[in-house]
This record gives sequence, structure tokens and C-alpha cells, in this order.
Amino acid sequence: MAEPTKSMQYRVLLVDDDRDMISLLSSWLKDAGFEVDPVMSGSEAIARIDVFRPHLVITDLVMQGMDGMTLLSKIHRQNPLMPVIMLSGKAQIADAVKAMHLGIAEFLTKPLTKDELVARVRYTLRLAAGESDSGANFGKEIIYRSEKITQLLEQAKLLAATDVTILITGATGTGKEALAKAIHEGSARKDQPFVAINCAAIPEQLLESELFGHEKGAFTGAQTKHEGLFQAANKGTILLDEVGDMPLSLQVKLLRVLQDFAVRPVGSVRGIPVNVRVISATNTDLEQGVKSSRFREDLYYRLNVVPLHLPPLGERREDIQPLLNHFLKRVGQRDNKKRKRFAPEAVEYLASAPWPGNIRQLMNVVELCCALTNTDIIPLAMAQKALRDQPAHVQTLKDAKEDFERSYLVSVLRVTNGHVSHAARLAGRNRTEFYKLLKQHHIEPEEFRTSRQATEED
Amino acid sequence: MATRIVRVDPELKDLIPGFLNNRRQDALTIRAALAQEDMETVRILGHSMKGCGGGYGFNALSELGGILERGAQNRDSEAITNAVDELQAYLEQVEIIYD
Ligand SMILES: Nc1ncnc2c1ncn2[C@@H]1O[C@H](COP(=O)(O)OP(=O)(O)OP(=O)(O)O)[C@@H](O)[C@H]1O
Ligand SMILES: [Mg+2]
Repeated sequence: MAEPTKSMQYRVLLVDDDRDMISLLSSWLKDAGFEVDPVMSGSEAIARIDVFRPHLVITDLVMQGMDGMTLLSKIHRQNPLMPVIMLSGKAQIADAVKAMHLGIAEFLTKPLTKDELVARVRYTLRLAAGESDSGANFGKEIIYRSEKITQLLEQAKLLAATDVTILITGATGTGKEALAKAIHEGSARKDQPFVAINCAAIPEQLLESELFGHEKGAFTGAQTKHEGLFQAANKGTILLDEVGDMPLSLQVKLLRVLQDFAVRPVGSVRGIPVNVRVISATNTDLEQGVKSSRFREDLYYRLNVVPLHLPPLGERREDIQPLLNHFLKRVGQRDNKKRKRFAPEAVEYLASAPWPGNIRQLMNVVELCCALTNTDIIPLAMAQKALRDQPAHVQTLKDAKEDFERSYLVSVLRVTNGHVSHAARLAGRNRTEFYKLLKQHHIEPEEFRTSRQATEED
Repeated sequence: MATRIVRVDPELKDLIPGFLNNRRQDALTIRAALAQEDMETVRILGHSMKGCGGGYGFNALSELGGILERGAQNRDSEAITNAVDELQAYLEQVEIIYD
């Protein structure tokens, strides 16, 4: 970012109920070239926002009347992207950490120096302007041409620079997981784990243990302690996929985790602090779920701090052609073959086809066409056939069963740290049968063992 | 207190007299609060002195603010009294160089 000059003077709204603090900070910021509007309470700040239109708000955490946290959530209800720096004493850091999770806020501990403050202000403004280090590369895996996706990615890029909780909605195959991954990759957490869990694919009893972990002996089959995915995602990002399908009994537990930033493993009385950025995704209408009491309203608001909606492919047909080209190229590279092309009539046909299975369906159609065509040019008839054979929005029962079985096996193994006999008992199968299942799915129990157990048993 | 000569950023010059006056006021308020065992007031004033003293260039005031805050948390009247004495002596004697 260029140094703020007279032509582009950044406006900073400063909120603190301590007169001396406000004078000091104003003086520092003005000297560094910012335009400062100092106010002494949260309610004044709210009133000033629309008038002064700040690029950044700096607020004290502990204030008489409205405190910094309340102010923060009020600001973000109106301006979800407004960057906020929260000032706090060392003793209040726990609250400040919560502030980060609540929205686009960072905290700075007092006492602080002029250099610290000014550097942080510049940094935060730069992030807000989307000029983070990875900014230029943001979402480079996502192929698009439409205005809708351009705008969505611009917003996602700003959000990536923050820890704000995001809910991604969109029909099956529209790229919800791909977007969540892009946000993680574009964030400061990119070198930390990205953990995705499909809340619909795992039975209720296992899901709790998968998410939050369990203590040794927490239930039958729990012979060893198990670390949950929230802990595995510590410092990184967790994607709660198909969150709309989470059972109500777990929704309340998830809510507690989001409120306390601590998980309590099954069978434990102690909470373990976690620092995780939460993104959830759903292809069901969560609002409808709330109305019909299948989804907790309080959890809905916690997850839906910022909603991002991926429109179906049929509402962004400009993206179809670049996507076709992208997948043709990818298949060619993967198979080490000359890249095929669609005949012009085939492109025209595909560009106006209904795509109930969206991008995943389109990808499958390209695969199929490439596999079944011997020539360089894929003819219209082949495209038509492939689309007919790829009804994408309904999996075959066999595929669906297999997917389920696989996720199930993986979670029992995770929960038992790879102990086949324990896992078999949980699954209600004998060891031999269970081994056979693992083999069918090419699952290696060793991969689920922690090093300590690798030498025990089996 | 080691040194009573304080170097302050000239850009803050206009703010300093007001700042120091507010600290004199704090000292009086703290004494009054202490007499009423109103530790909360002592704690709040100590906390904010700690927070901005150093920023104005007065590290000694940040330190005293911290002692006051802790004193209030521990309901330690003696520590608070000592710190207020020290605060007032410091405010009497401090010399400021703007550079
Ligand atoms: N814009 C895009 N550019 C390139 N690839 C994409 C794009 N969108 C999605 N994909 C790819 O399409 C496939 C389906 O996407 P993804 O799994 O993210 O969809 P989803 O919305 O999570 O679907 P579901 O609801 O079925 O879980 C993935 O392989 C993904 O990489
Ligand atoms: Mg998905």
C-alpha cells in the first residue's frame, strides 16, 4: 500500500472513554497522516459511523457504558467488512481473542507505542484493501468469468484476511468446498491445517467424538484417548460441511465450542482451548431448518456471521466455457495425452444445458467425453450422451452406499486410533469381516495410529 | 524513582500540561476513594494510568499505575498509599525536555 497521502487520507474513528488516551492516540495518528475522529463512547461511535465513514475503527475494550465487544458486534451488523482494532490490557486478552473470532477485529495490547500503533493501522488497512501477500493469487484454482463469481471472490478475498465466521450456501457441486479451501489458502492460516468434515456422512454417536475428541474409556470401544478434529485444526481452519444435517444434540455442543473457543472431549470435564477459524457449508436452506426446528436459531446466527452464496451454474452460464476448457486441459495433462476439444455444436449444447449437478457434473461429463472419444474433437452426440449418462444430482445407490461405508470406516478408525479390534467392536462386526471391508476400500488402519500405539496390539 | 527528567516527543507538547494535571487530579481522587475503601475507582484510575503513561513518555507513571491497579485488586491500602505518595512527589519534581 502506498503511504497515505493527502489525496487518499484514511479516516480512523477512535473510541475510548479515557480522555488522555484519546488525546495521545489522536496525536500519534494525525502525525502519521490519518484523519481522526475521536469519540468517547460506543453510542457516539455508532452515530458517527455513517457520517464520518471511517476506513478503520479503533476502540478500547473496557469502557463505561457500551463496551468494545458490544460496539464491535453492532458495527459488524451494519458493516461486516469494517476493520476494527481493539485495544486491551494484557489481562483481557481472552476477551480480545473472542473479538477476533467475532468479526474482522484484531487486538493490540496496552501499553503501546506510537510505532506499534501506526504499523498495525497501516497493516490492517492494507489487509482490508485486499492487498494481503497472497492477494494476487487468491482463488487461483477457481475458474470463472461471470460477474457474480467475480464479485463473490472479491468479497471472499477480503474475508480471507480476517477470522470472521463464514457460511457458504449453494447447491450440490457448485464449489462450496473449493471456495472454503481458497479462503483458507488466502488467509494468514494457510500454513496451518485445513480440516473438512462432512457432518452428514458420519453417524451421530461418532460425530461428537470426531469433532471434539474423547477420553480413554469414554464409551465402549474407546480404549484410547482420541483428539478431535477441532484440535487437529488448531491454528488453522475447519470446514463443517453439510452443517445443516448435524443432529440437534450436537448442535448445542457446537454452539458451546463457538462461544467458549474451547472443546470438551467426550468423557472429559475439562475444556481445551482451540484457535480455529470456522467455515460451514450447506446445500439445505438453514433458515427453513430454523423455522421447522431442525436447526438451532442461536447456532444459525453464530455460523452465519457472513453468508457467501454460490449460484448454480445455470445462473452463470458465462462460466461454462472456461470450465470446459479447464477440465479438458486437466484431463489431458493427467493422462499425458493431447488435449481434446469440443466441437462447436457440442459447446453450444453444453452451454445451454441444464446442469443440476453443477460443476461436479460438468467435470464428470468432460471426463466421460474424453474417455469415450478417440479423436481430438468431441462431437455433439457424445456430449449429449455423456450428459444423459451423468444425471449427477442423484448418485447411484451403490455409490452412495460406498461413500457412506467409507466415511464410516474412516471415522471408526480415527476414533479408535487405528485399533482394528476396537473399531470392529464399535462397528458391530468381527475382526475378519472388518478387515475385509477395510481392504475393499483400500483403507490402511496403520495410518490412523498414533506413534505410541503403533507398537501395541495387532 | 530513578530519574525525574523525562524526554518527551515535541509533537505531544500541547498535551502534556493537561495530561499531568489529570494525574494530579487522579492522586486526589485515589486518596478520597481509598478513604471510602472504593477500590474499584483506584483500580480503574491505576489501569488507565498504566495504559497511557508510557505513551506520553512517562514510564514511571505506567509503573505506578500498575502498582495502584494491583494494590486495588489485593485491597492493599498500604501499597496504594505509598504509590500515591510517590505519584504526588513525582508530579512535583518531574522535569520535561522536549526533543
Ligand atoms: N469454479 C470452479 N473452478 C474449478 N473447479 C471447480 C469450481 N467449482 C467447483 N470446482 C470443482 O468441482 C468439484 C465440486 O466442487 P465442491 O466439492 O467444492 O462442491 P460442493 O459445493 O462442496 O458440492 P457438495 O454440495 O456436493 O458437497 C470439485 O472437484 C471442485 O474442485
Ligand atoms: Mg462439498
